[in-house]
Amino acid sequence: MSRFIHAASLAEALAALAPGQGRVLAGGTDLMVALRAARLSGGDLPAELVDVAAVPELQQLELEGPAPLVGAGLSFARLAADPGVRARYPLLAQAAASVGSQQVRHGATIGGNVANASPAADGVTALAALGAVAVIASAQGQRPCPLGELISAPYQTTLRPQEVILGFALDPLPARTGQVFAKVGRRQALSVARLNLAVCLDERLQDPRLALGSCFPTPRRLAQVEALLRAGRPGPGLWQAAGEQAAAHFTNVCGWRESAAYKVPAIRRVTARTLAQAWALLGGGS
Amino acid sequence: MDLCLTVNGQPISLAEVPGEASLLEVLRGRLGLLGTKEGCGVGECGACTVLLDGRALNSCLTAAWQAAGRQVTTIEGLAQGGHLHPLQRAFVETGAVQCGFCTPGMILAAWDLLQRNDHPSDQEIKQALAGNLCRCTGYHDILRAVRRAARWLREGAP
Ligand code: FES
Ligand code: FES
Repeated sequence: MSRFIHAASLAEALAALAPGQGRVLAGGTDLMVALRAARLSGGDLPAELVDVAAVPELQQLELEGPAPLVGAGLSFARLAADPGVRARYPLLAQAAASVGSQQVRHGATIGGNVANASPAADGVTALAALGAVAVIASAQGQRPCPLGELISAPYQTTLRPQEVILGFALDPLPARTGQVFAKVGRRQALSVARLNLAVCLDERLQDPRLALGSCFPTPRRLAQVEALLRAGRPGPGLWQAAGEQAAAHFTNVCGWRESAAYKVPAIRRVTARTLAQAWALLGGGS
Repeated sequence: MDLCLTVNGQPISLAEVPGEASLLEVLRGRLGLLGTKEGCGVGECGACTVLLDGRALNSCLTAAWQAAGRQVTTIEGLAQGGHLHPLQRAFVETGAVQCGFCTPGMILAAWDLLQRNDHPSDQEIKQALAGNLCRCTGYHDILRAVRRAARWLREGAP
């Protein structure tokens, strides 16, 4: 049986986690499924469930200024509806809106999405495109950790049991960007993405960003595709070439397995289409 | 320590609730509120939807202790003074209920939507109910029921 601890402050949460036997509970939407499976199979339960929903540090949302930060405890419902997020980081708002169902979005948090480290997590792909660096706290202090280092393999992170994610520092973006989050799944709600893509373009293609999820074991921006975009002339030809490049990167990293027959053409088309959409948002023709 | 929460307006206190117990288990097993259904137990079907401080949540994905000190509303708490809520009446009158297993969750998810948006488009209704599965009705009459309830709530029920 797990003991449930309502942490009212960060200090309380860290003290409860310090012995290393507890689990952080944010929204609970992934953790409760894991606990249910453990109970059904007679597996071990954590000694403590440390509820961090009331910890103020995890609810921060700072979007203007040189160091934007999104609190780990913000729910997807909040991120999808927040006017600031929708204006500054629309791809994050779109990703948040595409997670699960209304009921899931009310509970599920962006920090929990990262800590669960599903390769299909919509929030993770969006954060990857935005250059997110997690801010992680323990009783020993705080440390920054880039998303790609925090998530080390599918469903695995380098987070220690004594630690909690406070939030994610995002790259500041130019005033005008075209941002699109795209997802291919099987059912409108609740579908685990077969493929998701976050794109952010600036007017001069100086800092194009493209992250692809559900395709690789860990979240990533596609540096070669971004380089191609920086060097090219915006237009259908470039978007096509970027799609080819993204698909090629996928086959290089993952090899040709069963799902590739579906994924390779999907990556090609969704990449080209999403880039065209993002560019169109900047007032460019497709 | 006892778990104290308010369910359908009633303050409740429960002894010995394990940390890992879901709100769904407590509502059904400890409080006998059987209107909240368990379909899948893992967040896929929406049959266990309840309102926590007025927001629709899957009670199978919520620890009972997350509801401590908060207000839970289940389908049993929707009717007031012996009168069905307009959503409940609309579901009955449009034939949106067949076996009824999905109905409590559908109605509470729709309640949450109408709370935020009193004139939803069909697309908005479909989105709000996308986390609720129904294996009987084909959804058409559910959509009609929510549309009708929205109109009643705006204009007053006949
Ligand atoms: S029982 Fe909770 S979503 Fe199916
Ligand atoms: S009425 Fe039977 S599941 Fe919806």
